[in-house]
Amino acid sequence: MTAFVIRRLIGMVLVLFAITVLTFLIFFATPGVDPARQFAGRNPDPTTVAAVRHQFGLDRPLPVRYALMMKRLFISRDLVSYGNQALEVVPAIKAATPVTLSLVTGAAVLWIVFSILTGVLAVVFKGTLVDPLLMILALIGISMPVFWLGEVANLITLDRWHDTFLFSWVPPNGYVPLTQNPWQWFLHLIIPWITLSVLYIGFYARVLRADLLEVQSEDFVRTARAKGLSPERVMVRHMLRNSMITFVSLFGLDFGVLVGGGALLTEVVFGLPGVGKLTYDSLQTLDLPVIMATVIYGAFFITIMSAVVDVVYARLDPRIRPT
Amino acid sequence: MVEPGATDLTLDSAPLLATEEHEAAIIGRSPWYLAWRRLRRNYVALGSLGVFLLIVICCSLAPVYAHHVAHSGPNDVHAGEHVRVSGKLRSVVGGGAVYDPKTNTFDVKPVVYLPPTWWHANGRFVLGTDKLGHDEAVRLLYGGLNSLKIGIGSAFLCTFFALVLALLAGHFGGWTDWVISRFFDLIWAFPVFLLAIAIGTALQVNGFHHFGINIEPGSLWIPTLVISYVLVPYVGRPIRGQILSLREKEFIEAAIGQGSGPLRVMFSELLPNVASTVLVLFTLIIANNIITEAGLSFLGAGVRPPSPSWGNLIASGQDQIQTAPWLCLVPGIAIVLTVLSLNVFGDGLRDALDPRAKVRLEH
Amino acid sequence: MTGKRRWGWLLGVVAIAAGLAMMAAAFSAAGTKSRAPSNPQAFPKLRAVLDTIDYLDPQQAYTGQSWWAMWNVYETLLTYRHVEGAAGYKLVPGLAQSLPTISKNGKVYHFKLRKGLKYSNGHKVVASDFKWAIKRGFLATGQGVGFYTDIAGAKAYAAHPTPNGNISGIITNNKTGSITIKLATPRGDFLTILALIFAAPVPGGTSPDIQNGTIPSTGPYRFKSYDPNHSFVMVRNKYFKPTKYIPRGNPNEVDVSLVGDADTATQMVINGQADYSNAAIPPDRIANAQSKGRLKLRTNANTYYFWMNINESPFNKLKVRQAVNYAIDRGKMQTLIWGGLGKPTQNVLPPTYPSYRKLNLYPHNVTKAKTLINQAGANGAKVTVWTRNVSDAVDSATYYTSVLNSIGLNATLNILPKATYYTTIGNVATHAQTGWARWLEDYPHPLDWFDVLLNGNRITDQDNNNYAWYTNKTTNKEIEALKKAQVLTPAVNARWAKVEKQIMMQAPWAPWSNRTFPEFFNKSIPAKCIHVQNLYGIDLARLCK
Repeated sequence: MTAFVIRRLIGMVLVLFAITVLTFLIFFATPGVDPARQFAGRNPDPTTVAAVRHQFGLDRPLPVRYALMMKRLFISRDLVSYGNQALEVVPAIKAATPVTLSLVTGAAVLWIVFSILTGVLAVVFKGTLVDPLLMILALIGISMPVFWLGEVANLITLDRWHDTFLFSWVPPNGYVPLTQNPWQWFLHLIIPWITLSVLYIGFYARVLRADLLEVQSEDFVRTARAKGLSPERVMVRHMLRNSMITFVSLFGLDFGVLVGGGALLTEVVFGLPGVGKLTYDSLQTLDLPVIMATVIYGAFFITIMSAVVDVVYARLDPRIRPT
Repeated sequence: MVEPGATDLTLDSAPLLATEEHEAAIIGRSPWYLAWRRLRRNYVALGSLGVFLLIVICCSLAPVYAHHVAHSGPNDVHAGEHVRVSGKLRSVVGGGAVYDPKTNTFDVKPVVYLPPTWWHANGRFVLGTDKLGHDEAVRLLYGGLNSLKIGIGSAFLCTFFALVLALLAGHFGGWTDWVISRFFDLIWAFPVFLLAIAIGTALQVNGFHHFGINIEPGSLWIPTLVISYVLVPYVGRPIRGQILSLREKEFIEAAIGQGSGPLRVMFSELLPNVASTVLVLFTLIIANNIITEAGLSFLGAGVRPPSPSWGNLIASGQDQIQTAPWLCLVPGIAIVLTVLSLNVFGDGLRDALDPRAKVRLEH
Repeated sequence: MTGKRRWGWLLGVVAIAAGLAMMAAAFSAAGTKSRAPSNPQAFPKLRAVLDTIDYLDPQQAYTGQSWWAMWNVYETLLTYRHVEGAAGYKLVPGLAQSLPTISKNGKVYHFKLRKGLKYSNGHKVVASDFKWAIKRGFLATGQGVGFYTDIAGAKAYAAHPTPNGNISGIITNNKTGSITIKLATPRGDFLTILALIFAAPVPGGTSPDIQNGTIPSTGPYRFKSYDPNHSFVMVRNKYFKPTKYIPRGNPNEVDVSLVGDADTATQMVINGQADYSNAAIPPDRIANAQSKGRLKLRTNANTYYFWMNINESPFNKLKVRQAVNYAIDRGKMQTLIWGGLGKPTQNVLPPTYPSYRKLNLYPHNVTKAKTLINQAGANGAKVTVWTRNVSDAVDSATYYTSVLNSIGLNATLNILPKATYYTTIGNVATHAQTGWARWLEDYPHPLDWFDVLLNGNRITDQDNNNYAWYTNKTTNKEIEALKKAQVLTPAVNARWAKVEKQIMMQAPWAPWSNRTFPEFFNKSIPAKCIHVQNLYGIDLARLCK
């Protein structure tokens, strides 16, 4: 196990390093990107531009600039954005993280509950109309692009039916911190939670249903029923537990991706200032320090969750050995 | 849908299947033929394949529609024109604030965009117009063409590369496997939007003209290559998993024992056994890529305006979502239909090829 | 059977619980929408929503949004009147006792600082603080330093700026409060440049590091707090004494939220969560917003245009450039791009300038345009249209591309990211043929337009602002001559109008709009309380309830 952990840690560091180098190269290879020019204002003197360039170390060779940026990001933690020199990158990410966490955790709770419910119901009612109906709904959920669903949600809740009692409580797009006003925090996040979770409910419901069906034909389930245990007990204590392995491992991966900034589209559509939106905004303005920081942040989460999932998977299913 | 027991590949099912052949002698059939028979009886899957093919055909006929029915190209602006709808003359884009030079004020009035004419204007503006006076129906079809090109093209590339890498990783194991797995990790951890925007931006001004490859800025190859690159782990990991488990089987040992080189083992033994997985994954990844492309285009990193794609039609439609919601809704419905039909067909394909398959697409 | 019924029961319970929760949310939140009417005289807090600001540091801020707030915080030697209309362009004394005396050769400006001035921290304002502000601009490489390089000794200082270094052209005397500025070469727009917030005096020795909101202020308000990208708060400056030209300000406090999304901002005003927003409401929603709040329209000095590089084929031919001007339907473009909220134009300068004479050299005529293209032999010429990735720029450039195609050219659109657009088209190596641009005035003087954008002598290979690479001996000479004119007399204005007409006859540009911006207020703000200062926008100080 220790060997595995060490190997994965080395792998993770290598991956992060490679990603930062790639990001750095891609952006500095982009023609027209000249942060010095962006800083120097609208009518810069050539001397002003040169002075700014020197001040930010932009006239040094690439490897030196890369090292400087990494040092300012990790060691001195005073890296500033190219777009707004008052904005420090690390605090900006720290401020954006709770938003993303709120969005993703809430959506995760929703999708865990409803996908288990849907999957279990589909198996319980297998043979009736309910099963294919639920599965079609699940498929439709997977087939909807999340940003389109968000736009439609906005259209319905903020515009067309906003004045009816159904949706008059929906506040305009944005985010209110939990510490500031819990009720408003909740109201602002309900529709984004539902939108983000629809896709995952569909996907996980199908996964769970397939696994449950497989488990259903196993001998130990038949034994449990034969012993006289109630269907609910059999379902919850025997079937679900054995089917959750894939569910848990996939959940870990998806959660990692989302927390790392994968909920970008949802955050953009609903105007939530999370890590995903920060990434998107910084890409629009080609703000390299912020891009770097968000990429590292995201990659870190994804690779860590990937390793954690492998370990958990191995613990849950002794037949698998982690590689 | 499918009766349990009738279609697994056990000795018990041979007589069941044989009864279909009018009590003729039991002939050994290849798994492919059996799969085809199973698929043939799955009407839902065939129906959705039909829907998908219908969508593809309609989109391929976009130039015909544009030229003969709508008389408008996808990028033609008709803002100043008038159209006769059910006999009444209406302007394509009318209304708007009116400036009074005498009082130096504006009389604010809403802008009126031509709503869908549903064929009352002789095939022009069937789905109405957008902010700039484009014929939405023409743009929807051309957009579908672009989205499908990118979706299917990138699925081919992605599957091909994933297959090669997975074969290498699964067969050789050890360090090769470690390197390729970390390579998969690297790609997975790199956000797709970042890569798409970065590459798109870097190639924006001049395009890419090196090593004999010529890519113009704004070419469809950019999103295609980016999406195929980014989704290699999605396809590669399940295949690699399957190859790893296949490798333990005796027939591989036998083949190696007989002296088959790695290439022969990979192509003659491993590949055919993962073929059904690959086929199913290919179908599902087309669906996934269409949605990814839509997301990229929505963010402005995929198909560049004014070229339409379903994703950027939704993006430009969101500006008018209050006055002309169909502009945002229709391309979305098109995406949902296409992707849904592919998913249903992919399910049916998986049931047909290997009813006990555990393969699924990781997100 | 039992199993299914049990699960069905569970499902039913969950559904009912969800429905009850939603209804509870609806009824509880419904009560928070109405607001009690406030005392019409007092204006305790103005809640405004802005898009983004760059800085709240006077030597750094260079966006209209920042200046809107900072005009009421950092006073300059000269400032503008808090009134509507053309009178709002008149320069009046701010921190100076009166308008300066100017030497005959236009090179020496003499001011005297008002007595008894104090910063918001109680310290006295002295004459040397002005000099420190200019030096600080160079030390911090602020975005506006380019304006002050004509002060004698400034260029030398800029080459090696140090805190103790001297700019020989600025001489101050703290005892008498006199400030004398010597110019290396005279400029007619120097007074307006002195009125820019870049020249706002700050306490001597203030560090050149960017300080957003912590520098003591001289205006009616001071900054209390700043949360980057989120909000900032302004409160009254208790040491401020109102003058004839600078009023005290009605709101006690101004809370500004920075919201990037125009829909959200508009919705906040409609809901009563904010009093004011100047977000660019999308054209199809303006009529709707007008019914739910109070809409005021403001035309500031701006021109939107398509430039045509006279060095690149086919735009090196006059006939092609003229054809383009004939081909675009400016009236329709206002509807398409702004929902009608814009005025068509064929001028370089917007109508706010006294020198403005409306030009109609190119009435809309597509047939004539096609003929001209034929005559020039430019049929089928490949053209790349450049634009930046902002929705109105993309829309107008899309329309423009379509028009170019309809008159016989072969045009394609290339959309660049916002951050790289100006550097790319301003670089001679790009060989950009034509594209989108706009100019918002920095200060109200024709030099800000003609000298920066259309003076052939100021063309550079990189970071060029003259995207048409336009140069012409006659107009270049006239612009240089007019640079020296101290005052915009009617005669000087007539010469500016003539230069403008000569330039437009060469058609390096196809100007198409002077845009009008919506200013959106909550219904609780009466219309008579809203005053528009042409330069700085809604007069914050005079907003009342």
